[in-house]
Amino acid sequence: MNAIEIHDLHKGFEGFSLKDISFSVPQGTVMGFVGENGAGKSTTIKCMLNLLKKEYGEILLFGKDIVEYELAIKNDIGVVFDELHVPETLNATQLDKFMKRVFKTWDSNYYFERLTQFKVPKRKKVKELSRGMRMKLSIALALSHHPKLLILDEPTSGLDPIIRDEILDLFLAFMQDETHSILFSSHITSDLEKIADYITFIHNGEILFSESKDVLLYDYGIFKGTNEEISELPEQAIIQKREGTFGLEVLVLKNEISEAFTVERPTIEDIMLFFVKGSVQP
Amino acid sequence: MTALLVKDLMTIQRQLKTQAFILIPMLFFSILMGQGSIVFSFILFILVIQAITALTYDELCSWDKYVNTLPITKSEIVLSKYMLSLVLMLIGLIIALPVVFLINHFTNDWETANFFLTFNLLIGAAFCLLALILPIYIKYGSIKGRIVLIVLCFIPGLLIGLLEEYFADVVITISKLQQFSYLVPFIGLFILWLSSLIATAIYKRKDF
Repeated sequence: MNAIEIHDLHKGFEGFSLKDISFSVPQGTVMGFVGENGAGKSTTIKCMLNLLKKEYGEILLFGKDIVEYELAIKNDIGVVFDELHVPETLNATQLDKFMKRVFKTWDSNYYFERLTQFKVPKRKKVKELSRGMRMKLSIALALSHHPKLLILDEPTSGLDPIIRDEILDLFLAFMQDETHSILFSSHITSDLEKIADYITFIHNGEILFSESKDVLLYDYGIFKGTNEEISELPEQAIIQKREGTFGLEVLVLKNEISEAFTVERPTIEDIMLFFVKGSVQP
Repeated sequence: MTALLVKDLMTIQRQLKTQAFILIPMLFFSILMGQGSIVFSFILFILVIQAITALTYDELCSWDKYVNTLPITKSEIVLSKYMLSLVLMLIGLIIALPVVFLINHFTNDWETANFFLTFNLLIGAAFCLLALILPIYIKYGSIKGRIVLIVLCFIPGLLIGLLEEYFADVVITISKLQQFSYLVPFIGLFILWLSSLIATAIYKRKDF
């Protein structure tokens, strides 16, 4: 079963549109949703949450249509944005009073345990918290009704590596339950390399690929060479080419080329750059 | 709905406390003038604008983006602002009425009949003001909403100016309707209900 299924999602704005986006997140997995700023990650997430009205297409969460079963679905999801969108005059304890009236499954003990774990002050107003603290509070709020799916829109952007690492550990702990799933939107690809099972890459409102992380990192390779050397590569092995600092670089399928060619292991960032800046024709 | 009311009350509680302090000089002023209606009007006005304060706080933090990820309907989100105003007005009345009665008792300024006429008109006016303000703020936000409201406030003045020759007749007709003044709060409530339907329809069409 898929936690998220999106088919042919279209949403147009002046100068930008999501163009018939399709991808799915299998239950029990973490999907990294990558793309540069303005690629359409947040727009896709907003459509998934029915914050934006889609023009056409189908969005299913837990196999149910998000518009038709909105409230039932929202009981089972936790959302973290890149900011904590709650009135800044409130504090963590007051937010608990609000949330326990929203969710029947709200677990105040679990919430306060997380706050203690993250060292988030319980009575300090949101406006007095640092950005890292706000994000930790946001994550505690998203986790404490025990959701089955986490939708994270740039939760680690602007945070230092130590806090980012703590937050990633939390998400990994959440994934200990195999019925749980995460959609993790970010342009910090190193975070996704740590946590994601699949990577979906969006560029200019289009999905360029949606693939298992292991396939991307272990089946793909980067070959660096001259034009002559590259012309010896089998056509079917070449995915993308680009101009590198010291000559041409080719993203290849490792099992399609001879071992005589030395290839480097790519990072997700390398693969993104090949797709955005590269082209199939040299 | 209760969750949203609790959240709004927690959000504006500091603001309410500050405004309660402003009430003290108003109370003295009211006693000195022997005019219970001053403090009564002030309390009503302060409470009416609390819904706006709550909406402004929400707008500042993009609350709508967050609250719409929770299992809460859009109708509840809108109605909670109307309920907030009604609850605060009810609390305000419970606090204000004994004070107003005491002022009147010691000053003998306000006859009972006059008191109920003023009371009904002020409550009706407060409901109508809310009915106007809330959909405008929900549609345009607090900055644009304020401008739209200012523009709208000029319209009655403009109409009075244009219909000046008929205006004396209108005043006479209204004064004849005094005996039906007890209906004013109910008419106000009905207008408020219509306003909530409009505001909900506006909110449902919004993207966040």
